[in-house]
Amino acid sequence: MYLAHGITRALAPPVQKFQSSIILKWILGFCWYLLHLVVSLVDMVCFLNHLLLSSIISTGLLRKYQNLKLNNLNCLAIVVDSEEAEDITKTQKLLSWLSSIDVKCITLYDLQGVLKRTIGNDFKSMTNTSLRECKMSKMTVEILSLSDGKEGIAKAANFLISKYMKDDSLRCNGTKPTFSESQVSNALEAIGYKGPDPELLLVYGPARCHLGFPPWRLRYTEIIHMGSLRFMNYGSLARALYDFSKKNQNYGK
Amino acid sequence: MLSYSSVHLASPFNHHQTILSSSPRRGLIPNDSSASFSYRPRPSPSLTSSLSPVAALPAGSSATTLVDEAEQEAAPSLPSPLKRELLPGHVAIIMDGNSRWARARGMPTSAGHEAGYQVLKKILELSYKWGIRTLTVFAFSAENWNRPKVEVDFLLMLFERVLKEGIEDFMRVGIRICLIGDSTELPESLQKLIKEVTEATKNNTKLDFIVAISYSGRRDITQACKSIAEKVKHGLIEPADITESLVAQELETNRIVELPYPDLLIRTSGELRLSNFLLWQSAYSELFFTDTRWPDFAEADYIEALTCYQSRQRRFGQRI
Repeated sequence: MYLAHGITRALAPPVQKFQSSIILKWILGFCWYLLHLVVSLVDMVCFLNHLLLSSIISTGLLRKYQNLKLNNLNCLAIVVDSEEAEDITKTQKLLSWLSSIDVKCITLYDLQGVLKRTIGNDFKSMTNTSLRECKMSKMTVEILSLSDGKEGIAKAANFLISKYMKDDSLRCNGTKPTFSESQVSNALEAIGYKGPDPELLLVYGPARCHLGFPPWRLRYTEIIHMGSLRFMNYGSLARALYDFSKKNQNYGK
Repeated sequence: MLSYSSVHLASPFNHHQTILSSSPRRGLIPNDSSASFSYRPRPSPSLTSSLSPVAALPAGSSATTLVDEAEQEAAPSLPSPLKRELLPGHVAIIMDGNSRWARARGMPTSAGHEAGYQVLKKILELSYKWGIRTLTVFAFSAENWNRPKVEVDFLLMLFERVLKEGIEDFMRVGIRICLIGDSTELPESLQKLIKEVTEATKNNTKLDFIVAISYSGRRDITQACKSIAEKVKHGLIEPADITESLVAQELETNRIVELPYPDLLIRTSGELRLSNFLLWQSAYSELFFTDTRWPDFAEADYIEALTCYQSRQRRFGQRI
């Protein structure tokens, strides 16, 4: 009997400890999921707020998003995910919005050249200009793909080096090559791969990256991720342009 | 503001993960044939080895204990939203906002840069601890030479101090220091110190720490063209062999590290641009812009950036 009593006393504390640890675990787990719920709700509210604001801007009720002052926007670039670029109605709608906002110069880009194939061909047939650039009544649209980016720089390098070798053989003095940034820029222009440096680049797609947009042109470009092209709306576009118009760049100074 | 698509919290008991993000990241090889794999996965520690207390092991399992301890030491635990297999291999950071941080507090600009240095040490330590393979920081751009001389001189002295103070730690933990940028514009004492530090740490393999000083993305591309021209001049290659891959190989980052292309590029202080940093290399980098100024960038902000990276679906132009 004493032995049984002793065993019971020895075992009881671990059993009680085990029960209290289970209860504690459940309490902590509940708190964890409650915290998760709160964070999710806050995030959802922010998302809905953003959606609501974009919708209100689209209706034209907020005056500050009408008549945007885009004096510091000489060229706007748009990067579109190639898969989403297959739906050309979206891109055409985007261009019409930008035209209504009076954006004068647009560079469209997608990695695989889908836009060149679709919209580029439409422009070519309408205006009888090149596949890459089209002058419409109110704006210039340039359409680029990966081959105009890094490959363009490789071709510019080839041009620059061929010119250097020719000049070097004429001089016969074996000077070391000394290239400058302006020489690379001139080489890009000479081979037809120079274009304006966009002040603003809007990225439409799932990933927040510029997908190989011509790197030479991206030096001081503001980059804004707009989300999927499928869910684009005028409000988000107006908001991005408005925020850009308020920007001030120091250029490293 | 938290993005609805990137909220991702994991239960601390590893029982349940609630993922509200879109499809998980698929890390694929970018189209650029000269680009290396963006991430080499490390083996994850086993759940039992990380949870089982050493004292509960039977007496004859000292070998197991040593293995467990070595495993724990080799793979320290990550904060809960982060998954080891989804971490970026190369993180690049534009450390912006030191001056504004100092001005907001009524302090001199130098105080902002000092505070920024402390944050850099912390982020370097975290990157090392979490197994980031390469960390690149934009310390001083070619355009920054236009800043007031007092500030430029202070920054150059700070760089010397960073290298002198850090060399022992770098050697101890195995961090390799690499510098990119036009070092000819730097003071001779700093140039000499850079050579010493890079030479001393060249055999370290734990983490490649690239510091961009007097760096310009356009100049990087230009010097690549120049290097290729010298090779053509010496008959090593023909002009017709000049391709995108060849240009990429001659870039400063591509010549010094295994993972030259950042998977994730972070810029602090609310600015949304690259400012002439890694223009070529950042083609497929996930861009993370945060309003937090660099001296206020803490572990939580770094975790947020890495979590955001993990939740993105990155296809690099390929169909999945």
